[in-house]
Amino acid sequence: MIADQKDFITPHITDAHTLDYPCFAQAAHWYQRTIPQACEYELPRWAPIHIGRFALDISPTRHVVMLWIAALLCIVTTLLALRAHNRRTREGKAPSGFGNGLEALVLYLRNEVVLPNVGPHGNGYVPFLLTLFFFILFANLLGLVPYGATATGNISVTFTLAIITFIVIEFAGMKAQGWGYINTIVFWPHDMSLPMKIFISPILTPIEIIGKLTKPFALAIRLFANMVSGHVVLLALISLIFTFATWILVPVPIAMALGISLLELFVAFLQAFIFMLLSSVFIGLIREGAH
Amino acid sequence: MDTLPAPFRLNPGLMIWTLVVFGILAVVLWKSLYPTILKATIDREARIKKDLDDAERLRAESAAALEEQRQLLASARGEATAIIAEARQAAERERSAAVEKTRQEQEDLLHRARREIEAERERAVADIRREAVDIAIAAAGKVVGARLDAAADRKIVEEYIGSIGTGARG
Repeated sequence: MIADQKDFITPHITDAHTLDYPCFAQAAHWYQRTIPQACEYELPRWAPIHIGRFALDISPTRHVVMLWIAALLCIVTTLLALRAHNRRTREGKAPSGFGNGLEALVLYLRNEVVLPNVGPHGNGYVPFLLTLFFFILFANLLGLVPYGATATGNISVTFTLAIITFIVIEFAGMKAQGWGYINTIVFWPHDMSLPMKIFISPILTPIEIIGKLTKPFALAIRLFANMVSGHVVLLALISLIFTFATWILVPVPIAMALGISLLELFVAFLQAFIFMLLSSVFIGLIREGAH
Repeated sequence: MDTLPAPFRLNPGLMIWTLVVFGILAVVLWKSLYPTILKATIDREARIKKDLDDAERLRAESAAALEEQRQLLASARGEATAIIAEARQAAERERSAAVEKTRQEQEDLLHRARREIEAERERAVADIRREAVDIAIAAAGKVVGARLDAAADRKIVEEYIGSIGTGARG
């Protein structure tokens, strides 16, 4: 048993230069001809771009393609919502259909989640946060589609999203507080005597900076870990079938995997929501300047 | 970086792709979805807020007008009361003045009447006295005869009567 152990979980959750697609095997067993199998499509490899000593490989990978699809789905659903909205405003009729559901979702997120957290005059941050939500949501859901992959289960993707969020948060702080923004980096208590300030500032300034960097780091790790762990559990449960190597116990892992899949569906929405919610909270915090 | 297990390795290419895809998506959604759906919502919100503000303002205005009206009414009522009181006072003054005047007139009349009566009485007393003198002279003349000097006798009698008069008086 040990000898033919093969790690098939890591390849499943990591990036690759191939794309899975359904296909039918030529011969072999009958079920291979009736049930679609996974074939691999080799993605093109581009020559790395050299910037100084640093080689940058920007050939599209599986996760890049998933990001494209997620973005495309975002745009398509947006267009549907737009069409429904325009039709409604043109006819002056009551809302109906998928597009309007999406519109209701957009308005809910804006009015109940973003604006209360971001604070007054937060309309400028709504587009960014909604884009974040829908992009992460579709990327999460693509991991649950057969032959799909979870781009948000890749730490590069979540870190980039977190860095973008970090920049937006800091920008919001600068915009809202002006020179007072410096207070979010250098700890300088206004209600203490000067010697006390000089004493305490070098101690607490690193803490301020670490606190600042922890927020996006936690965002990145949270999304990555949630997306990866679900898939790992799912694959581990499926593996039980092969570990037991008996037909009798097949329904048990299948049922458990089904449960986990439903949980994953929930988590896909939850994590997109949490990423957006926490980003809103962070933007609201720095705009308030609670120092 | 390569020493980390595969899932924890950062791939700069993928990071750049994420940035690019997210950036494009954000710009596209910013330009299409939000101007329509969100702007309509924001406009509607602004309109509702404005309507509410207007209603609040109008309510405040009408309340102020009502208050002003009420004050006006109160001041008018006060003024009317003052006017009535003043009129009443004036009437009172007028009446008492009239009464006083009447009383004065009556008193004057009474005085005059009394004086007239007094004068009349004095005149009557003088008349009676003269008459009495005449009668006495005539009677005395009758009694004494013609030998009496009219002028000297008259003086005696008059003195006598005068003494009677003063005696009677005194």
